[in-house]
Amino acid sequence: MSITTKSPILEVNHLKQYFSLKKESLFSPKQTVKAVDDISFKLYPGETLSIVGESGCGKSTTGRSILRLDEPTEGEVLFNGTSMTSLSKKELRNVRGDIQVIFQDPYASLNPRQTIRKMLQEAMSIQKVMPKEQMEARLLELMSLVGLRPEYLERYPHEFSGGQRQRIGIARALCVNPKVIICDEAVSALDVSIQAQIINLLKSMQRDLDLTFLFISHDLSVVRHISDRVIVMYLGTIVEIADKDSLFDSPSHPYTKALLSAIPSIDEQHKKDRIILKGDVPSPIDPPTGCRFHTRCPFATDYCKKEVPALRSLSETHQVACHYAESLLKEEIV
Amino acid sequence: MNKEVVLQVKNLKTHFTTSKGTAKAVDGVDFTLHKGETLGIVGESGCGKSITSLSLLRLIPTPPGKIVEGEILLNNKDIVKMKEEELRKVRGNQISMIFQEPMTSLNPIIPVGEQIAETIRLHQRLPRKPAWQKAVDLLEMVGLPSPEKRAKQEPFQLSGGMRQRVMIAMALACTPEVLIADEPTTALDVTIQAQILELMKDLQKQIGMSIIFITHDLGVVSEVCDQVAVMYAGQIVEHRNAKDLFKTPLHPYTQGLLSSLPNIHENQQELQTIEGSVPSPYDYPVGCRFADRCPHAREICRAEAPDLLETNNAETKVRCFMHTEKWEVIEEKEELVCP
Amino acid sequence: MLLFIAKRLVQIIPVIFGVTLVVFLIMQMVPGDPAAILAGEGASQETIEQYREDLGLNRPVAEQYMSYVSNVFQGDLGNSLKNKQPVLDEILLRLPITMELAFYSILITIVLGLAAGIISAVKPYSIRDVSVMVVALLGISLPSFWLGLLLMYLFSVKLQWLPVAGWDGPLNIILPALTLGVGGAAIVARMTRSSMLDVIGQDYIRTARAKGLKEHFVIYKHALRNALIPVITVVGLQFGSLLGGTVLVESVFAINGLGRMIVDAIRTRDLPMVQGGVLVASLVFVFVNLLVDVLYRAVNKRIDLN
Ligand SMILES: Nc1ncnc2c1ncn2[C@@H]1O[C@H](COP(=O)(O)OP(=O)(O)OP(=O)(O)O)[C@@H](O)[C@H]1O
Ligand SMILES: Nc1ncnc2c1ncn2[C@@H]1O[C@H](COP(=O)(O)OP(=O)(O)O)[C@@H](O)[C@H]1O
Ligand code: SF4
Ligand code: SF4
Ligand SMILES: [Mg+2]
Ligand SMILES: [Mg+2]
Repeated sequence: MSITTKSPILEVNHLKQYFSLKKESLFSPKQTVKAVDDISFKLYPGETLSIVGESGCGKSTTGRSILRLDEPTEGEVLFNGTSMTSLSKKELRNVRGDIQVIFQDPYASLNPRQTIRKMLQEAMSIQKVMPKEQMEARLLELMSLVGLRPEYLERYPHEFSGGQRQRIGIARALCVNPKVIICDEAVSALDVSIQAQIINLLKSMQRDLDLTFLFISHDLSVVRHISDRVIVMYLGTIVEIADKDSLFDSPSHPYTKALLSAIPSIDEQHKKDRIILKGDVPSPIDPPTGCRFHTRCPFATDYCKKEVPALRSLSETHQVACHYAESLLKEEIV
Repeated sequence: MNKEVVLQVKNLKTHFTTSKGTAKAVDGVDFTLHKGETLGIVGESGCGKSITSLSLLRLIPTPPGKIVEGEILLNNKDIVKMKEEELRKVRGNQISMIFQEPMTSLNPIIPVGEQIAETIRLHQRLPRKPAWQKAVDLLEMVGLPSPEKRAKQEPFQLSGGMRQRVMIAMALACTPEVLIADEPTTALDVTIQAQILELMKDLQKQIGMSIIFITHDLGVVSEVCDQVAVMYAGQIVEHRNAKDLFKTPLHPYTQGLLSSLPNIHENQQELQTIEGSVPSPYDYPVGCRFADRCPHAREICRAEAPDLLETNNAETKVRCFMHTEKWEVIEEKEELVCP
Repeated sequence: MLLFIAKRLVQIIPVIFGVTLVVFLIMQMVPGDPAAILAGEGASQETIEQYREDLGLNRPVAEQYMSYVSNVFQGDLGNSLKNKQPVLDEILLRLPITMELAFYSILITIVLGLAAGIISAVKPYSIRDVSVMVVALLGISLPSFWLGLLLMYLFSVKLQWLPVAGWDGPLNIILPALTLGVGGAAIVARMTRSSMLDVIGQDYIRTARAKGLKEHFVIYKHALRNALIPVITVVGLQFGSLLGGTVLVESVFAINGLGRMIVDAIRTRDLPMVQGGVLVASLVFVFVNLLVDVLYRAVNKRIDLN
């Protein structure tokens, strides 16, 4: 798939999302959390783009800003070339139908007093996807699509297991015929055997329905399995974007390298040098100057402390934000 | 092989009586822990890992839970039969525990140093000052930066990784013989998890304790454990040396578990799955508890429950008819019956 | 912390203004003409007018309020219509009595409430727990004046252990303080119980047990202190209703406190007296709440962060 020749279905330009915190006392300075700080990327139709990073790096916030669940502080999001920020309420509602989201714990977002049938019907009629008469057939189709028995339509959310609830979450996202689905840790809470079922389901869904996925996850094994391209975030910024194979086979940012090496593996062959990072992720309230990773980076220099590294292209499909990406790559080859 | 046995669990059963009936959360668990060894207990959520670990120190909330059968022999003394007084001397002293949620497992309004020092005062009868000093030393040992300052802080002032270091320091305060760690890194980020695992391995070398490491993450098990026990529906289904288990899993459930794991080192097309779901602890089937999901299941699997048996290799135990002599016999018979 | 206290003190100023305004307006609205009362029964219209003039009652309402507030801030609460003595003097005489009563009552509320709550929570659903909670329910539903009369009848009239009424010795305090404190104790007991049960179910209690601590250590050092946090707020609120209760209880037991003073003043339409009494009672309440806030923060440092 030659991605670059297509036009993006979703484009994020210089997105910033700041949250101001309540002041601690009258005289203390106002504090802002820079949850997402100037990120840009493009999502192409039919692909799965993943966002990975540690807790608090801004993955979910990015997703929420795209959906405009939070109003972005700065920057714009283009859906099929039109800016979402300029849309009226009504147009926004239409676009919301095109972009759906699946959360980590679908239980929290399912109304406990509604049967599955009621919930799906409501979602469909809000978006006016089809006349009433066709709904029944569509409901049955959806259920079989996500691998649930048709009689489950009459059940309530608490009567399902975690994996089944996730299938319901997927059915709800699919029922309005979306083009893009944002999966926020959609399989993270599931056991491996169930997780595998859901991942396979998502993949087959994508093939059959021509869906585009923005897949947010902290689990790099899952990400390798499901994505075409991967974004690595650290403290609200993008440190590396690459197609899956270059990212996993030749990670270029020191943080990506550490992240990959930290994953415990059952594979004897791959148990080699582990890069153990020092310390904790700094607070996004007052992030480090220059390169945000310099407090934990084994290669940091004085220059890194002062200059913010720009996101540069190493190749057509590989971008990285590190001053020394090229030389670090070479060093490893030697 | 003739290593010293520290802890031996025999036919442990912990059941919960609720309005829905009896949940057999732990239903006949056997294992042996040797000195200096790390035993991993893995399995999917709800299979009874945490209840097993809590049972070892009799920390099950009673009611509704109760240890209904079995022995837990610590140096040949049965913990199940101990009096409260005796039990308290084991807790935090000979066996100590680390829990999954470092956020909620520390008392929110007591300085972390005091939470460690109180254990030291209790078990080692040290006065306040030296106990505090020892707590600070322990915090330093687990790699907490500026330990004197941190010791005086409450848990909310520490990050998740730091809190887990505090929990470890607390657990190691009295140099226990056995450390039980229930999902100690599940709530942490991978880079922090790597730090904590490294720390635990180092400390084990220094102190020489045995560890029971409970997790659902097979990757973590293969990083830190010598022996692995795989649990399914309240029982251990396979117990072996970690290297062998990951190379050639014997039980069909272990096989399914390993093959449904996405591999980070290569591209796969489709993931293997285990169809169906775990049986309810309120109502286990009569035969093999995995039979409904097992691709190899036969008639006998539904009729009889398999035991956890040693295979030809004495260090390997599996709960599956496939690895018994019965299997071959049956195979022949079945072929005779239905040609 | 100091900053927090300073901030709360600053916040109190508008509250005090609010209180004076409300007290003032209520007194404007109650029926009855103070001038007429002062002049006495059968006084001529001119005399009444004269009194009205002296009291400034025919000036515009806003002006009356302004002068009232400025007087209040100079410590002048006006003179009693009845005996012409400064209201403040009378209040300063009565306030300590009421405060003493309130102190012992809240002490009963806290000690009795906490003890009952802990006893219940340690063995939930046991016979002990159920009986304590039934008693607590009774304590909440009993009206305090009725309880007061009951206690008086039992201990003073029947058994003759304690004096019936008055305020001359320590024995006099027992019955009124019990009457006032028991209702609050019941509420505190229920709150303590549910808060304790909640805390005992927390992970850190399991950690404490896993360390081998003795059960009473687990309960008192690890559970109780955390459980107290929400109880503090309830005690603060209880103090408010307790102040209200003094009005009744002081009347029942014939204690010359602030509450009884207000009741008497209302009956005789002694406006400045009522105003002053209510104002002072409100201020006491506001400061007690401040105290509770400070205490809450001291116990629960976490809220400093949010
Ligand atoms: N409404 C909010 N107010 C203040 N801060 C917020 C808010 N929402 C998010 N944040 C902060 O923004 C940062 C990014 O949060 P976000 O939820 O995007 O993280 P994440 O990468 O999804 O993490 P996780 O893996 O834990 O889900 C965090 O530091 C978080 O505390
Ligand atoms: N208090 C309880 N009441 C009833 N059932 C319980 C209780 N605690 C645990 N269980 C059941 O025991 C089983 C094992 O639980 P647990 O050991 O926590 O699983 P895990 O392997 O995920 O740690 C589960 O099926 C769970 O539902
Ligand atoms: S810019 Fe410097 S500090 Fe940042 S990742 Fe590269 S080498 Fe490390
Ligand atoms: S005993 Fe039978 S059903 Fe059970 S795991 Fe073995 S082969 Fe499968
Ligand atoms: Mg998130
Ligand atoms: Mg568990």
